Amino acid sequence: MLEPFSSPYVQEGLVEILLLSVAAGLIGSWLVLRGLAFYSHAVGTASFPGLVLADGIGFPAALGAFGMAGVFTVISSLLGRARRSTVDSVTALTLVACMAAGVIMASDVFSSGANVDTLLFGSLLAIDSGDVMLAAASAVVSILAVLLLAHRWLAKGFDEGAAGSLASGSRIFDFALMAVVAFTVIATLSAVGALLVAAMMVIPAATVRMVTSRLSTLQVGSVLLVAAEGTLGLWLSVKTDAPPGATIAVVSGLVFAIVAFARAVRPSRLVASALALVALGGFAAGCGSGDDDSGKVKVAATTTQVADFVAQVGGDEIDLTGILKPNTDPHEYEPRPSDVEAVADAQIVFQSGGHLDEWADQLVDDSGSDATVVNLSADLPVELHGGEHDHEHEGEEDHADDHADEGAHAEDEHASEGAETEEGHAEESEEHADEHTEEEGHAHEGEEIDPHWWHDPVNVVAATEEVEHALAVASPENADYFQQNADAYVAQVKQLQRQIAQCVKAVPAGERKIVTDHDAFGYFTNRFGIETVGTVIPALTTQAQPSAGDLADLEETIREENVEAVFPESSVSPKLAEALSRDTGAAADYTLYGDTLGPDGSDGATWLEMMASNANNIVLGMTGGERGCEFEVS
Amino acid sequence: MIEWVTEPLSHGTTLRALVEIILIGSVSGVVGCWVVLYEISYSAESLAHGLFPGLVAAALLGLPLLLGGAAGIIVTALLIAAVARYASDHADTAVAVVVTSLFGFGVLLALSPGTPPGIQELLFGDLLGVTDRELFAAAAIAAVVLAVLWLSHDRLMAIGFDSGSGRSLGLRPGAVSALLLTLVAATILVGVQSLGNLLVAATVIAPAAAARLLTHRFAPMVLLSVGIAIGAGVAGLYVSYYAKTAAGASVAGCLVLAYVGCAAISALARRAPRPHDGFRAAAGPVSRAARSPKLDPS
Repeated sequence: MLEPFSSPYVQEGLVEILLLSVAAGLIGSWLVLRGLAFYSHAVGTASFPGLVLADGIGFPAALGAFGMAGVFTVISSLLGRARRSTVDSVTALTLVACMAAGVIMASDVFSSGANVDTLLFGSLLAIDSGDVMLAAASAVVSILAVLLLAHRWLAKGFDEGAAGSLASGSRIFDFALMAVVAFTVIATLSAVGALLVAAMMVIPAATVRMVTSRLSTLQVGSVLLVAAEGTLGLWLSVKTDAPPGATIAVVSGLVFAIVAFARAVRPSRLVASALALVALGGFAAGCGSGDDDSGKVKVAATTTQVADFVAQVGGDEIDLTGILKPNTDPHEYEPRPSDVEAVADAQIVFQSGGHLDEWADQLVDDSGSDATVVNLSADLPVELHGGEHDHEHEGEEDHADDHADEGAHAEDEHASEGAETEEGHAEESEEHADEHTEEEGHAHEGEEIDPHWWHDPVNVVAATEEVEHALAVASPENADYFQQNADAYVAQVKQLQRQIAQCVKAVPAGERKIVTDHDAFGYFTNRFGIETVGTVIPALTTQAQPSAGDLADLEETIREENVEAVFPESSVSPKLAEALSRDTGAAADYTLYGDTLGPDGSDGATWLEMMASNANNIVLGMTGGERGCEFEVS
Repeated sequence: MIEWVTEPLSHGTTLRALVEIILIGSVSGVVGCWVVLYEISYSAESLAHGLFPGLVAAALLGLPLLLGGAAGIIVTALLIAAVARYASDHADTAVAVVVTSLFGFGVLLALSPGTPPGIQELLFGDLLGVTDRELFAAAAIAAVVLAVLWLSHDRLMAIGFDSGSGRSLGLRPGAVSALLLTLVAATILVGVQSLGNLLVAATVIAPAAAARLLTHRFAPMVLLSVGIAIGAGVAGLYVSYYAKTAAGASVAGCLVLAYVGCAAISALARRAPRPHDGFRAAAGPVSRAARSPKLDPS
């Protein structure tokens, strides 16, 4: 019954949720009494521009979020005071203004990476000491605030009209309430994720409010209910291997629905409570977990590509868990208990590196794992800058920007091994030499590199060898087996690289021009001598949007350069690529795999398949559909 | 000068965006007036999350995604109306309860391996990616929503200003606010596919809130609101074209600036004496309908 609570990371999550329940219950009661639910949602969402600034300028994300929450509180309380009857629309408009500012900064000022959406969002299963401190602080702040200010808040009561005349000094106390709400929201958000803010602060208090009219009962009852629902939700989430945030939200919603129903059918409250227990019990019994200890080396891999490399080398002799599944959006990712357990038990955690899986380090620390973390992008033969891809296309003279990373090429020639490719490539490098800036290929200390390194087979060969070394250290008795697998895989990778190079080379150099959706293919185009003349989306975050002017310029470029195709990506909405296609006649029919592999059964389920599919589609696109590449991929 | 105006329109992406802004603006300007009057901005901002569980369910059952999304958002709207009526003091609390629970349910559903990747993005569009099909959809939904609003104008008005007298006329406040939330949901369903969530929330709320600052009568408020929605929207598109700033965010920013401008005008105008002032006292029954036992301090 209690065995889910035996793992240390679940115990930490339990401590965190019990600490947070104090603030969530106390302040949640006032949210519900005052109808501040929208404000609490808005103040959390509006932290986005703070995160963009923090990432762009380089200060801690939490500082950005708390700062932005402060700005939001001041603006909305000033405006709300000016015209009381429109507090609702003022909150909405302040939120819209903050989000618009954040999107413009992310798209046009900083070219933000994909991580800005998630910089702040924690998970109940990955709690560190900072989160616990913050939760304890929010508990203390909320207890103090309620002890000192509750009678002031109460004086204003629930009838704003009457209070306006009674207590003219109540504004400062209102502001204090909003500030405490903002603090609690950001503390909850950064520790346990966005979904849990309303699930912990609003739903339980609203549930208790239905059955009580006494303030003290409401406050104490809310704290107890948050703690109970949180504990139950966490237990269920471990039992059923679901993300705890969503589980707690659903549990709270069900309890609310049952209590509301019980109120409607008055006399049968007892029956309803029994019903609630039975329903939740049934829900819990739905799943059980079976553990098997095979004695193999336990290994975890963060992204789908990395998991594929590790699986190729490790074969049957490792017990591998891939954390990101092909159908999870990394932006929405909340770890499941089995993921955390896999990391906690793992001897080695393989990481892709860069923006894509920064959370992995934290997950390893917070799960109490003593795994070796192997960052596959730590020492790659080919490294491109991340930043220079993101420039806008103000006119033809800017095209060189996109191509600047060609420079990387000259430098990695000696490191790469596919001899046949090199010839084709060297020509290409010279051809474009006049366009190159003097940028160097290798990222300097402290500079961000483009994290999509696996689109260059040379890097994949290096990564495969690194995987093999790490596995051989962990399991020396299987070293030969790993070596065999790695050699076989490297041979396949090199063969595919040669085939792609040949296939691309058959396209006349002047026609090797493409426009991609976002800049994930720098390594591919760099390796095979293709020129990216433009990208549609200006930054990597899903919040980024192109401007009307840039898109119009891109259309001009596509016409002038006779670009045959615009390539949508499997994990991004194809609408913008299709719009460009309608206006310019360039095809938008060839979808590429950018950030993740495809699901099982698709033509991009493994790295080799993905690479073959991308190459085929790119060549089809560049030749106007006349010719693709046929590869034998196992 | 003329060229300055026409040049952006020679690009198909910008031209379609302009037509879409005019179409969506003309319906959201009207719907927005009711949203502001009933104080349901939170619903307008958060209803789009209701798409998610519907989308996932449709994908798992093999039904058309649009159908699932539509079902999801309408169910969300009706549940919000029901909870606001029967189980909470404030409509905003109802929105938080319903949207959070349903979204959490969607996340759990999406764990099943049959869910396609990036499903949440599928129905969300970008201002510059508008298709002809979406233009027709926007025109159709504009016609339907405006027609229903026209037909139910008296009912909405009676409940919006005074739910007590509305009830004595035989009207049911719960049914009326459910109707309004459904219309808002329909507008958002069409809007998010072409404009994205941020911009739809902005075009629904900002013009109406701005118009309300300038007039106290409903008919002029609606006309002003539609005018601001289209005017500020088009201005935002030109800003995005010439200053090369993110398109949707630029339009949203211009709409908020229009509100700030109207607030300044109304602050100046307030110094002069006013003939009558009856509008401000009106508040929605949704937000004020307290169904729970009265709270006594203890």
